[in-house]
Amino acid sequence: MAKLTIRIWILIIALVLAALMISPTFKTGVVIKSVEKNSTAFNQGIKSGMIIKEINGQEISSLEDYSQAISTAFTSDESRIDIKTENENFVFLAHNLSEITVGKIPVTKIKTGLDLSGGARAIIRPENATVSESQINDLVSITSERLNAFGLSDVTVRPAKDLEGNNFMIVEIAGTTPADIRDLLGSQGKFEAKIGNETVFEGGERDIADVCRSDASCASITGCSPLAEGGYSCTFQFAVYLRDVAAQKHADITRNLPLDSTGQYLTEKLYLYVDDQEVDSLLISSGLRGQVTTQISIQGSGTGATQEEALKNTQSDMNRLQTILLTGSLPYKLEIVKLDTISPKLGAEFTKGIFTLAISVFLIISVVLFIKYRKIKLTFAVILTMFSEAMITLAIAALIRWNLDAASIAGIIAGMGVGVNDQIVIIDEAVSGKGGNESIKEKVKRALFIIVGAFFTIVAAMLPLLWAGAGMLRGFALTTIIGVSVGILITRPAFADIVKKIEG
Amino acid sequence: MENKNWYDKYYKIMFIIPIIIFLISIIYLFSFHARTGDLIYRDTSLSGGTIITLQGSYDIASLESSLKQSIPDVSIRGISELTSGREIAVIIESSVSPEQLKPAIESALNTKLTDENSSTEFSGPSLGDNFYRQLITSLIISFILMSLVIFVMFRSFIPSIAIIFAAFADIVMPLALLDYMGIKISAAGIAAFLMLIGYSVDTDILLTTRVIKKREGTVNQRIYGAFKTGIFMTITALLAVLPAFFLVTTIPDSFRQIFLILALGLFADILNTWFTNAGIIKWYAGKKGLN
Repeated sequence: MAKLTIRIWILIIALVLAALMISPTFKTGVVIKSVEKNSTAFNQGIKSGMIIKEINGQEISSLEDYSQAISTAFTSDESRIDIKTENENFVFLAHNLSEITVGKIPVTKIKTGLDLSGGARAIIRPENATVSESQINDLVSITSERLNAFGLSDVTVRPAKDLEGNNFMIVEIAGTTPADIRDLLGSQGKFEAKIGNETVFEGGERDIADVCRSDASCASITGCSPLAEGGYSCTFQFAVYLRDVAAQKHADITRNLPLDSTGQYLTEKLYLYVDDQEVDSLLISSGLRGQVTTQISIQGSGTGATQEEALKNTQSDMNRLQTILLTGSLPYKLEIVKLDTISPKLGAEFTKGIFTLAISVFLIISVVLFIKYRKIKLTFAVILTMFSEAMITLAIAALIRWNLDAASIAGIIAGMGVGVNDQIVIIDEAVSGKGGNESIKEKVKRALFIIVGAFFTIVAAMLPLLWAGAGMLRGFALTTIIGVSVGILITRPAFADIVKKIEG
Repeated sequence: MENKNWYDKYYKIMFIIPIIIFLISIIYLFSFHARTGDLIYRDTSLSGGTIITLQGSYDIASLESSLKQSIPDVSIRGISELTSGREIAVIIESSVSPEQLKPAIESALNTKLTDENSSTEFSGPSLGDNFYRQLITSLIISFILMSLVIFVMFRSFIPSIAIIFAAFADIVMPLALLDYMGIKISAAGIAAFLMLIGYSVDTDILLTTRVIKKREGTVNQRIYGAFKTGIFMTITALLAVLPAFFLVTTIPDSFRQIFLILALGLFADILNTWFTNAGIIKWYAGKKGLN
C-alpha cells in the first residue's frame, strides 16, 4: 500500500472532525427543551438539554411514552412524580409537570431551517419610523421578554439589517405556531386602565408589580356558555398586583365618584384598553371607593364556534393580556412585513424529497463519471470527494449553528456541482493528457489556475447575497461559499494526490 | 484533419448564432419592460401577497373556479410525487392578505386551515419591493465583482470581455425565456441568477486558459480539447440539476426554481461558451500569432 500524503491525511482528519461535529446519537429518551424560570423544577436543578430516561419507573423512549407517563401521573392518587435523567434523579410532589417542555432527541447536531422543520418566521419593522440599531435592539429585548412570558420556548429574536440600511427584527418560532401569532408579534401591546379620561395604570413594570398566571386560585377560566347567535363564549379572570403609585392613583380618582342607583357600584367603570381599543369594562364596587388597593381582578372573554374552540381562544386571550400587562408596551407601532408559518408535516415531506434528490444526484453523477472514464477507482475517488465536501460543509454549518433551510441545501448541492467540475478539470489536465511536450508540473499549474479562478468567481458572485434582503437568502450564499472553500482548501488537493496514486 | 477544416470554415457562422439569440432576447426584454414596466414577473415573495400550501390532495380545478369568484388573481397548482403519483400538496397564490385568502379557501373546501395541515407565507408589498431592489443591486454588484476577478486573472482585454459577455448572455437568455413562458420569479430565483454568474464562467475560464496558456497542439486542437472537458462538466452539472424536475418533485418551490434557472443558464452557456466565446478566442489567438 502506497504511503498517504499529507494532503490526504488532512482530508482524513477533517472528515473525522466533521463526523465528531455532526455527532450522530443513538440515545433513547426525550430531551428537555425548556424549564420555566423560578418554577419548582427549575429550582431543583432541572435544566434544558437533560435527557429524561424514566418517569415513575416507566421507561421513556419516545414523546408518546412521555405524554403517556405524564397523563398516568396526572390521574394517579399519589401526588408524586419521579424523574430519572441520564445522571440524576428528581422527585416532584405534584400531579403534573407543566413547567417543563420536552422534545425528541435530535439525531445529529445539524439543525434544519423552519421551511423544513416547521414553525413561524416574521420580519417586523416599526411602522412609519426609521429606527437606529440601538432602538431595534431595545425592541428585540422587549419582544423576547414578551414571547417568553407568553410561554413560547423555542424562539429566537434577532435584529437584521439590509443592504439599504433598513433595520428589521426577525422572530423565529420552531415547532407549532400559536394561532394568534400576528396579534402577539404585530401589536404594540399598549395596555391602559382608565376611569373616565384618567389613566389609572398601564401595562409594564412601572405600574404592575405582578400578574397571577399559573396559579388556579387567582387566574382561571370561569365558565363557558352558548351564545344566542350560535357559538360559545367563555370568560376568564385573573388578579393583577399594582405597585403603590398606581394603587394610590386609583384611590385618588375614585375618591370623589358618586355611587350608582343601586348603591353597590360607582357610576364610572374601569375601562381596559389594548392599543387604544376597549377590550372590557369593569364595575367598581362601592367598597373600593377611595381605597388604596393593590390587588385588582381583571376579567374578559373569548368566543369560538365550538366550546372547545372558545375555551382555547379564551385561554389564549387571557395569556396575551397577562403578557402585555407584565411586559408593557413596545416603544413603536409595528408592521409585520413578512410572516411565514410552515406546517411541520409539510416540512417533513419536503425534507424527504430533498434527501431523495441528493441521493439521486449522487447516483447520476457516479454513473456518468463511470461511463466517461471507465475506471471504477477514479469514479470512486470523485464520489468520495463529493461526499467529503458535503459532510465537511454540513459539519461547519453545525459548528456555526446555522439552520439549514431549503436554500442552504441547494447551496450545498451547487457547491458539490462546482466540486465535480473541478475534479473533471484535474483529471483531464493532469492525467488524461499524459505525454506531449509539457511537463506534468505545468499541467497541474494550469489546472490550479482554472480551479482557483472558478473559486474566486463563484465567491465574488455569491458575496452580495450575504446582506441582501435582511439576510433571507444568506444560507444559500453561505453554504455555497463554505462548500467551494472546503473544496479548494481540503478536498481538491487531496483528490489531486489520490488521482496521482491511482494513475501512477 | 477534417475536424480542423470544418471548424475553420464554420466558426464565424457558429459565432453568430448565439449573438442572434442574444439580440432577440434583449429586444424581447426591452419590449417586456415597455409593456409591464418590469424585467420579470415577480412572485409574491417579491411583489407582496400570500402563498398557502395545503397538505393533501384536492380537486384543483373546482377549487380554482370557486376561489376565482371572490379572489380573481388567485393561482393554484399541485405538487405530486412523480414516481408514485401521490399528490402531496396544493399551492395557492394570490396578492391578497392571508386574512382574506384563508377564509376563502376554508369556505371553498369546507375545512379549517391549521398550522398542521397548511403553511402560509405572507410578504408585505413594501418588503417585496425592498427585496427586489436589493436583489437586483446584488446581481449588479455580483456581476462587477466577477468581471474584476476575470480581468485580474487574464490581464488582457479581449479574452476577459469575451468571458464577461458570455456570462451576461447566460443571464439574459434564460431571463427572456422565463418571461416568455410567463414564469413568476421568486427571491430564491434571483439568487440562482447570482449563482449562475459564478457557475457558468467555469467553462469560459477553462477554454481561455487552455487556448492562451497551453503550448501543445494547434489552437483548434486546444479548443477541441477544452470543449471535450468543458461539455462534460456542463453535462454533469445539468444532470445534477435536472432530477429536481424529472425525478423528485416533492421539494419546496423556491428550491426547485433555483435548479430551473441553473439548468436554463447551463444550456445557454453551452452556446455562449462554445460558439461565441470560442469564436472570439480563436480570432484573438490568430491575431496574436498564438498557435
